[in-house]
Amino acid sequence: MSSIAKPKQFQLPRIFPRPKSHKGLWYWLATVDHKKIGTMYGLVAFFWFLVGGIEALLIRLQLGQAESSILSPEVYNQMFTMHGTTMVFLVVMPLSAAFFNWIVPLQIGARDVAFPRLNALSLWVFIFGTILMNISWFVGGAPNGGWFGYPPNSSLGFNPGNGITYWVMGLNILGVASIAAGLNFIVTIINMRAPGMHMMKMPVFTWMTLITSVLIVLALPILAVAGIQLTADRIYGTNFFNSEAGGDPIFWQHIFWLFGHPEVYILILPAMGIVSEVLPTFSRKPLFGYTAIVFAGIVIGFMGWFVWSHHMFTVGLGPAANTAFTITTMLIAIPTGVKIFNWISTLWGGSIKLNTSMLFSIGFIAMFTIGGLSGVTHAASPSDAQQQDTYYIVAHFHYVLFGGSIFAIFSGIYYWWPKFTGWLLDEKLGKINFVLMFIGFNLQFGPMHWLGLNGMPRRIYTYTEDMGWEDSNLAATLGGLIIAISVLVFLGNIILSKRKKQNSGGDPWDARTLEWSIASPPPHYNFVQIPKVKHIDDWWYRKYPELLEGNNQNIKKQKIEVEDSSNVDESKIHMPDLSYYPLIIGVGLTIAALGVMYTYALVTIGLIMVFWGSIGWSTEPVNEDSKEHH
Amino acid sequence: MSTNVTIHHGEEINNSTGVSHKKLLMWTFLGSDVMFFGTFIATFMAYRNKSLNGPYPEDTLNIPITSVSTFVLLMSSLGIVLALHYLKEAKMGLAKFWLLLVIIMGIIFIGFQIYEFSHFAHMGMTPQVNLFGSTFFTLTSLHGAHVSLGILWLIFLLINEHRGNLNSGNAIDLEIAGLYWHFVDIVWIVIFALLYLITANDGVPPGSIPWIGGH
Amino acid sequence: MSLLKDLFFYQGNKWWKIPETTELSKNPKNEHPFGGFMEKSKNILLILSSGKGHAGPIYYWIIAAILGIITMIEVWWFGIKELRYMLVPAMLIFSILKFALVVAFFMHLRFDHKMFSTIFITCMVVGILFFSVFLLLSAFHGLGT
Repeated sequence: MSSIAKPKQFQLPRIFPRPKSHKGLWYWLATVDHKKIGTMYGLVAFFWFLVGGIEALLIRLQLGQAESSILSPEVYNQMFTMHGTTMVFLVVMPLSAAFFNWIVPLQIGARDVAFPRLNALSLWVFIFGTILMNISWFVGGAPNGGWFGYPPNSSLGFNPGNGITYWVMGLNILGVASIAAGLNFIVTIINMRAPGMHMMKMPVFTWMTLITSVLIVLALPILAVAGIQLTADRIYGTNFFNSEAGGDPIFWQHIFWLFGHPEVYILILPAMGIVSEVLPTFSRKPLFGYTAIVFAGIVIGFMGWFVWSHHMFTVGLGPAANTAFTITTMLIAIPTGVKIFNWISTLWGGSIKLNTSMLFSIGFIAMFTIGGLSGVTHAASPSDAQQQDTYYIVAHFHYVLFGGSIFAIFSGIYYWWPKFTGWLLDEKLGKINFVLMFIGFNLQFGPMHWLGLNGMPRRIYTYTEDMGWEDSNLAATLGGLIIAISVLVFLGNIILSKRKKQNSGGDPWDARTLEWSIASPPPHYNFVQIPKVKHIDDWWYRKYPELLEGNNQNIKKQKIEVEDSSNVDESKIHMPDLSYYPLIIGVGLTIAALGVMYTYALVTIGLIMVFWGSIGWSTEPVNEDSKEHH
Repeated sequence: MSTNVTIHHGEEINNSTGVSHKKLLMWTFLGSDVMFFGTFIATFMAYRNKSLNGPYPEDTLNIPITSVSTFVLLMSSLGIVLALHYLKEAKMGLAKFWLLLVIIMGIIFIGFQIYEFSHFAHMGMTPQVNLFGSTFFTLTSLHGAHVSLGILWLIFLLINEHRGNLNSGNAIDLEIAGLYWHFVDIVWIVIFALLYLITANDGVPPGSIPWIGGH
Repeated sequence: MSLLKDLFFYQGNKWWKIPETTELSKNPKNEHPFGGFMEKSKNILLILSSGKGHAGPIYYWIIAAILGIITMIEVWWFGIKELRYMLVPAMLIFSILKFALVVAFFMHLRFDHKMFSTIFITCMVVGILFFSVFLLLSAFHGLGT
């Protein structure tokens, strides 16, 4: 399209000059480089990980002893609501997004994502959404309706003030960011694979990113609708969840979990992808059953849509519905089990290298299996009637989300850190980090199983001494503190390793996929020459071609260096230029969302900014040199 | 490693399926929008005949008027497909004419909607009054918001076309706007069938209070 | 079933086949809009279409006319008291028909890359299944008190 000359290309007059320099704050605000965007996603999400962790610690301190009053009941409600919301939307999803951004274009041999500026828009909308949601702490109290926000508890009559409205607006803004990112990655993965990389030759992490993106794109609109309906109820007085006018609060539960259950897989599928990259690399063996793992992922992604009512077994949907959803929920354990057996078989007979990344991945398999099995126990609706809203459920979803997603994300951080920075993280501190986190995690969430079976309900503010819950709760609180220490060790590891700066080279792990075939950190255009792909794990077979001939003895590694980009002619690099319009649209959307709660003047200002940003965006050329117009 | 390699990022360099990025993005977005409208339509159907007090659909909905606006929107779909056809053939005059006509038809549709809303409000049917009002107004107004966004987009394209920036070479820009426009149209096809034609005979549900207001 | 398939996929495109990567392949050439079965039967529409390898304006006008006629039938049906008992299924069928016509012809899904059909139809199928289950649940639960 670029070949056609455009005579009178209109450009919006610029208020700020288009940044040129690749340094400084201005560059970071206007960057469209997927790696920089991934870094920012990671940093912001990690900041919220610390905030969410502090919230969790405060909850644990409050529950450490019977009848303690470290927090007030009102603040306690805000704490557990924001802990849940933060960890799901502000931590696990964006940390996964950080990996998507950093790794996917590298793994498929692309120079950037398909729509670099849309990618920047996702980032800025996400960042301002997180800020919007957390402003509520300072203007009359954070949301306190739980991360699921069931009406009528979240309706205006029972929950005056702006807390819940901030929560809904924040979620909707974050939803825009997620959908934009999801669309971008679907197009990137389908359309920007290197020549020869068929769908069934893509790395598993890329596959899981694709499935996750599809789920995001289809599930988040449902949350948006739920949010619009609740906001309309709260602000304009509509009747969606108003039982006085015939509205049904159960309806919210349906819509929320229609979204909420695919969301669970949005959180865990990227983790499964990361583990599927780490295990083969450090077992020095191909992934066992690549096709089975990919199809299991697709099946999970599809079946995840038809299990939502297992969150509502005690609502009274009737025996027919409960039975149907019991069956679908138990069935979904099958593809998950397929994956677990595939991972174990990958380890089987491999020459395993137990470094930090691998330890976290193995920890993931063990913890996720425990969490999955306890999940199957409340898939059975009669049994769930006993477990609903007890700490048993809390134990279950922390085993799959912390023991699953967070362990895998740490595994991914240790695995790809040298690719991000060019230097290695310290292994000794890393192992301390893993051991502390593993012990702390099990100490915190293990006892919650029997706490729940002893009848301790979720979300209670405190309990009396005669309930017999004190010892287990104290253990859980200690576990929480140990996790906090392990996170501090991780931060210390980064600081100490940065001082040491042990050079990693492009391919420190002798790894398998394309991202290791270029320098670390990669140049901003990633690949000097787009690679031609012949096999799954193409980089591995380029290094060990003899393995392709079925020869497994006395393998010699070919002398292949990572791609050298030192002598590239700078004038021949035409990557997309920087753009500050995504930032402007992000700010505008957030201001408009704030305005919905306060005054239409703000909505107008916000929408004008969005309009200005969109026009500027669509009239500026992607690249000033080639005048290409996207 | 050769030093005189040109490093470039774009569709024509890295495109594994041969289809345009933008078109793929738009289709995927439409898939996403299916779920958005699907949830609203499902809400409407689930709350059908559940209002406790009036006005009810049979008191308010006016099929002849909505049929006209439906027909206008339907024909705007024809307009945009013709505009795209003539743009691809580089018949700029016809292309501009049809695009302008589509924009006018879109504005007519929005005008009908504004008239309808104000008429309903005048009769006493508001989003606050009952479940029918809540579900009806959110769905139709969000559809209207989609149409309005589409109108802005088409105006932007028309200006570009007039200035010579949109031509047969980058007809893809009009094509994806057209896909969006058609989608808004098919959503209205579903809304017209479900919210208007099927619902319009719904009277007082058993146990609810009959409506005595209005004309 | 095969009619539905013919409506959305041109000449036996295998929609389940995951698109394979080819080196810098071009867009598949716009093929004749009426597809295989129409071409063979030498339909009158074939003559009316531009014959330049893609659909012509007359042909779009015809689709639009069909859409308009269906809309008229819908409104007429609505007005006839004797046909009321069939209103719901009739309206569903008519709207599905209109939906399919716009998607397949105006949105070019029928003669475009099969991937677009795959994406859109997947979304439709997931959405329709999903919301049907949901409405079924609502109906049996008796939403509203």
